[in-house]
Amino acid sequence: MPTADEGALPLHVAAELQDHLLVAGHDLDRLQRLLDDATQTLSTCFYTANHLLTTGTTIDVQRQLSEALTALQFHDMSTQLIAHTQRRLRGLADRIARDAMDDDEDGAAVVCEIPNRPNPVTQDEVDAGSIELF
Amino acid sequence: MHSILAVDDSPSMRQMVAFTLKTAGFAVTEAVDGQDALEKARQKDFDLVLTDQNMPRLDGIGLTRKLRESPKFKSTPILILTTESSDQMKQAGRAAGATGWLVKPFDPTKLIEVIGRVIK
Repeated sequence: MPTADEGALPLHVAAELQDHLLVAGHDLDRLQRLLDDATQTLSTCFYTANHLLTTGTTIDVQRQLSEALTALQFHDMSTQLIAHTQRRLRGLADRIARDAMDDDEDGAAVVCEIPNRPNPVTQDEVDAGSIELF
Repeated sequence: MHSILAVDDSPSMRQMVAFTLKTAGFAVTEAVDGQDALEKARQKDFDLVLTDQNMPRLDGIGLTRKLRESPKFKSTPILILTTESSDQMKQAGRAAGATGWLVKPFDPTKLIEVIGRVIK
């Protein structure tokens, strides 16, 4: 066990690291909800479209396919969510390493900066987004 | 037939945007990021540019700014289609000269409606 003088992170550093880890955790929760919602929507569209092939009109089927196309965009949103969270975790790992071991003998350690801005993906459902014309 | 330059670094998004636009009767040229779009815009005229925001090399706002510097794209509608929904980013897009801001995911019917409203 480290003593209070060795190995323990200063309080402000520990608090900052904790904040970043909590944000990463929340982003992963949102990713889970996004995947659940997309999977549910795609399943519903598939079964409904399949049923409509025998009972509905072409327009009904097209409407289902259109809804499925919106839900399929979960891949792009998930990719961005994961990439941003990876940058945050990589930045945290580098920050911990730098604080614990200082710079290397060749000079400053190569550090991946922790993203300052929140994750650009705020959606946790695959409902169509807003439209604003300027 | 109207021609649209569709810009997104995500292959799946490019595929879905191109499918939606082609199904609606538009001619579509795809670009993988803002830099690629700039090069394609130098070679060809487009009636509308539909671009993602977060991309490597050159983002959507940067692309909009660069296109607006060219007389050829002074009045061409430029729509930014992105996951970004903050007011700060929207205002940056507007200041760069974007015509509109669409938050992903897009609804194919609404996307075509909006394009119909802004395209000349």
